[in-house]
Amino acid sequence: MAKRLLIIDDDPDFVSGIKAILDTAGFEVDVAYDPKEGLQALQRQPYDLLLLDIMMGRGAEGVMIARKLRKDAKLREMPVLIITGMREQIAFLFPGEPIHPHFVEVDELVEKPVEPNLLLEKVNSLIQAAEERKAGVS
Amino acid sequence: MEAKSKILLIDDEEVVLDSCTQILAGGPYQVATASDGTAGLRLVQEFQPDLVFVDLKMPGISGFDVMEKVHTMDPTIVMVVITGFATISSAVDAMKRGAYDFLPKPFTPEEFRLITCRSLEKRKLVLETIALRQEKEMLREHFAHIVSHELKAPLSAVQQSLFALEFELSKTLSESQKEKLERAKIRIDDLIKLINSWLRVISVDINKLKEGFTQISVKDEISKALDNLELYAVRKDIEIVTSIGDVLHPVIGDGLSLSEAFVNIIGNAIKYSHDGSRIVVNAKENGTDVVISIQDNGVGISEEDLPHIFDGFYRGKSGQAMATGHGIGLAVSRQIIEAHNGSIVVESELGKGTTFTVRLPKWSNQP
Ligand SMILES: Nc1ncnc2c1ncn2[C@@H]1O[C@H](COP(=O)(O)OP(=O)(O)OP(=O)(O)O)[C@@H](O)[C@H]1O
Ligand SMILES: [Mg+2]
Repeated sequence: MAKRLLIIDDDPDFVSGIKAILDTAGFEVDVAYDPKEGLQALQRQPYDLLLLDIMMGRGAEGVMIARKLRKDAKLREMPVLIITGMREQIAFLFPGEPIHPHFVEVDELVEKPVEPNLLLEKVNSLIQAAEERKAGVS
Repeated sequence: MEAKSKILLIDDEEVVLDSCTQILAGGPYQVATASDGTAGLRLVQEFQPDLVFVDLKMPGISGFDVMEKVHTMDPTIVMVVITGFATISSAVDAMKRGAYDFLPKPFTPEEFRLITCRSLEKRKLVLETIALRQEKEMLREHFAHIVSHELKAPLSAVQQSLFALEFELSKTLSESQKEKLERAKIRIDDLIKLINSWLRVISVDINKLKEGFTQISVKDEISKALDNLELYAVRKDIEIVTSIGDVLHPVIGDGLSLSEAFVNIIGNAIKYSHDGSRIVVNAKENGTDVVISIQDNGVGISEEDLPHIFDGFYRGKSGQAMATGHGIGLAVSRQIIEAHNGSIVVESELGKGTTFTVRLPKWSNQP
């Protein structure tokens, strides 16, 4: 069965770029263009992975979503791929280095624009890790 | 209508307070008076004066102490010292401690008016300078915001669409179509990298780093930098030999930015070295410093270029011939190292190689 992904990002042009890649790779992809819409979608149905723009709008509205997810018992388990347009504003991060502020339990961070292979690799490995965790628990 | 300037007079002699108030009456001023230092300081807070006249000789808190306190409350308040002839030397002292001017007793109304006008002019200048500085700071932040949002975001979206196009059409595109796409991607990638390096320069306030300084192990930060660069070195088949003292004294600083500086400097050594060559990274103690040297056998830097390589956006001739770059890495590294009260120097010979030497003061209990 195809995995379901949700993208929350306020830049429609960027979204169409990553969505096309994920569609082509066989994922079921839903999109929310603002944080509120995104939270509603998350309540409506379960997703295997969330792709979240951390710096939506002027502030870091994505960070607020991440905080809410961390507090939610059910959503906490969902892996999140954080996408950021501005590495500099988050911290001194080095290109490709895994150190980053962990906004949620299970996350990874990539920078915009993200190359198709890197995107798919991150998405697949996050989903796989989440499934293994689940299998291990039950 | 312009707001009235607020003037506070602090003097224990009633007649001085009265006559000064009279002289200023009718002018565009609001005047408050206090007959001793304690009352005066209270008024500084309540009344928020632009200008304070202080008598040096008063019972209770001395004029000197009043001045010091006023200065810590609000360093933009202009202070003028009133003093008798006998105490001119202490007036000079007062000026050294931040008084703008002094007024010897006795003085004529004209003298008093004149010094008031000049002092208020000074106050205006001080405030304008501060406003200008703030404006500049805002512009800087604003510029960083514009660059990242209005320039970088659209470019990222375009690049993402090109990625998607290429991915979706990978099986259908002809070689020449693929090549066109590839060129477009490369040009946009260059632009994004350029914007990133601008952002690096304008959005990081190096002085803020100092607030978070802790004890740092130089060895750890160099190791982090080396981990970061490992792939790059392997790709160029470059061997990095390290000799780092095991009991190296810690330094005081910010780990992330120090390792960033090392990434820049060692990254340069790799970038400007020939494939298959070797780089030596050395760290040892020397007196009150920890000294780190990074030595390569690469293209070297010419004598003409050498004095400029730490300037922002400057690239050496030999370096340009070897690899692409933005000329920012060393400028940022030097700022980081200097914020640590350290220094960085370079020695180089064209065609032979380059050695960078970084000195960082050892951590000590004394501030
Ligand atoms: N190890 C080295 N060997 C030879 N030349 C060097 C070396 N390190 C620096 N340079 C020269 O100094 C210049 C400035 O270096 P800097 O790191 O600031 O910029 P860059 O490497 O050109 O670009 P970037 O900002 O991407 O690092 C380089 O362009 C190069 O000419
Ligand atoms: Mg460089």
